[in-house]
Amino acid sequence: MKKKNAAALMAAAMAASLLVGCGGAASSETTSTAESTPAESTAESTAADTTADGDETLTVWAWDPNFNIYALKQAEAIYQKDHPNFKLNIEENVYSDIETKLITAATSEDYSTLPDLFLMQDYSYHKMVANFPGIYTDLTDSGLDWDKFSGGKLADSTVDGHHYGLPFDNGASVMAVRSDMIENAGLTVDDFKDLTWSEFEEKAQKVVDANGVPMLTSSGGSELIIEMMQSAGASPVVDGEVKIADNAALKESLTVYKDMVDKGILAEYTDWDQYIASMNDGKAAGVINGCWIMSSVQAAADQSGKWAIVNMPKLDGIDGATNYANCGGASWAVSSNCKNTELAFDFLKSTFGSSVELYDDLLPNAGAISSYLPAAESDVYNQPSEFYGGQTVYKDIVEFAGKVPAFDCGAYYSDVRSALTDAVTNVVQNNADIDSEMQNAQDTVEFNIAG
Amino acid sequence: MKKKGLNMEQKRSLTGWAFLLPAALLIFVFCFYPMVQALILSFQKGTGSAVQPAGFANYVRILKDATFQQCLFNTIFYFVIQVPIMLILALILAQLLNSPNIKGKGIYRTMIFLPCATSLVSYSMIFKSLFANDGLVNRVLSTVGIPTVDWFQNAWAARWVIVIALVWRWTGYNMVFYLAGLQNIDYSIYEAARIDGASPLQQFVHLTIPLLKPTILLTAIMSTSGTLQLFDESVNLTAGGPGKATMTLTHYIYNISFVETPKFNYAAALSVFILVVVAVLSAIQMKVGDKRD
Repeated sequence: MKKKNAAALMAAAMAASLLVGCGGAASSETTSTAESTPAESTAESTAADTTADGDETLTVWAWDPNFNIYALKQAEAIYQKDHPNFKLNIEENVYSDIETKLITAATSEDYSTLPDLFLMQDYSYHKMVANFPGIYTDLTDSGLDWDKFSGGKLADSTVDGHHYGLPFDNGASVMAVRSDMIENAGLTVDDFKDLTWSEFEEKAQKVVDANGVPMLTSSGGSELIIEMMQSAGASPVVDGEVKIADNAALKESLTVYKDMVDKGILAEYTDWDQYIASMNDGKAAGVINGCWIMSSVQAAADQSGKWAIVNMPKLDGIDGATNYANCGGASWAVSSNCKNTELAFDFLKSTFGSSVELYDDLLPNAGAISSYLPAAESDVYNQPSEFYGGQTVYKDIVEFAGKVPAFDCGAYYSDVRSALTDAVTNVVQNNADIDSEMQNAQDTVEFNIAG
Repeated sequence: MKKKGLNMEQKRSLTGWAFLLPAALLIFVFCFYPMVQALILSFQKGTGSAVQPAGFANYVRILKDATFQQCLFNTIFYFVIQVPIMLILALILAQLLNSPNIKGKGIYRTMIFLPCATSLVSYSMIFKSLFANDGLVNRVLSTVGIPTVDWFQNAWAARWVIVIALVWRWTGYNMVFYLAGLQNIDYSIYEAARIDGASPLQQFVHLTIPLLKPTILLTAIMSTSGTLQLFDESVNLTAGGPGKATMTLTHYIYNISFVETPKFNYAAALSVFILVVVAVLSAIQMKVGDKRD
């Protein structure tokens, strides 16, 4: 009998050790933050070497070689004109890894693994600054000219009046549509401007019937729903209070979304690659998303001249509803591990903070639309785009960006997003009741906030 | 009874302990110490320097968490459906490969074991493209005339994709254990059974399975603990979707820590919960499986 107990104990211990330590599963990640593995600390060149011997090197984390890393390289070249010794050490990290590494550093209170600068998604600023203020260097008095950035964008990286991020790209929502498919239905692109959703559905149905493909493609989940809510300025969190269950704009958004799926106007692709492919393969006549989606649309070079950009439809019967929203966008942050903050500030000030030359290059070559206001007045923004049939798309987008209503998720963007994804999925897939799903989402977010 | 120095028995046991020590020390530092820390963490609240004791608040929270219940259901589904399918399949394959008159055994063995050598992320990506709306599986289905399935948009279809992926990835792994176990069984036992007139099925049920019991027990416990910690497939193959229909407990723990507003203490409490479940299930399996005394 004794033997048996010992054996059971061994089994439990074995299972336990598999579970917690060696499995590399979540529990080890939550607890072993204090002992960063040796591989990790050697693999990441730390920011410490930037101060050695007046070395003018800054380490930066960003994630997209064709987009923000390209932008960094251009910024480096511009700054090197006046500072020949300056060098950027750019490290490519998937965005979720950047956030994980930041949290790991913050919970272990060992910031030495952090780079000097890093790019962070706007939706994460409030969450990260509220929970881990030790990661950031306050940029409020860094000499950057904050008035030159659009206020809505700046609000994302501003917490309690302190600036923690320098805005990078613009995420104004656009509706990209296939002009050739619209013409097949006997309509024009102009017919799709400044619509309400009910007007849109009516016209979209004609396009669907004429071409045999859905009018819109969606990445599934709550991305589009959040944009629809935002277009009416209907924040899901107001002054720390969750406003989901009684959110009229959300209810209207879910109703319209479900209706479009049922009618075949909107097709969902929950996998991102399939979602992008659906645009490029002509499996949908359009898409609504942040203007960064255009670089994916443009990947299909054979469709040049067949696309156009219009604003998104607005919600029917909702106070404050507009045709404008925002999705995504990122800002540059300076970490608390940055020893040479003067260099970092000066670099940001001379490049992303003031260089119209830089933004003029980024627009055509990276598709990065500036949130630095003077850049938008540059000639480059007035040039017609061949891919969009000669439309001056960038000018239009900057105009859209100026009309986006204020929208706030507080520090709980990801929680709201996740709860709404459940609601959308249940409504669309299982015909669940919209009101009760909204109540569930409200309960889930409140539960998360209660901690 | 004996006075001078260490006797033979004691010396031997000391050598044994000396061999055990380095591994035990490593396990203690890298497994048990973090476990204890996690346990402490689970009884606290707050982040950074603002940590305060919270008693059982995090554990009470588990009972009220609807997302947790959904993830627990998903995990149990994988456990109940996938583990038996996989182990039975592995046992059958091992039995076939152990038969002395199969040619090219090495090749089959390698082929079946090979999936285990693939990285969890890359095989997830491959399954993702196989089961995509216009992927291989749907193309085959439509060629054969069966209606295609939106594998990742439908909750039950997505769960089955995960089960299929898991079976593909881990069957070979378990088969190798069974193969090793089978080779330890003396062939003369089967000869004796044959002389007594036992059919192959009877041999399998009354000889192979009882003699293989320790190995079956081992694989069952490993699979149980592995399934309850399922993470990569949920993250990479389905991203937990649609909604949270395929999200596993560890994926949820990860989300609580690194995706949503971070709640490490609650995440630690959930980890402890999984630990307890694995320990209890393992104990039950030991009890059921081990009938020696």
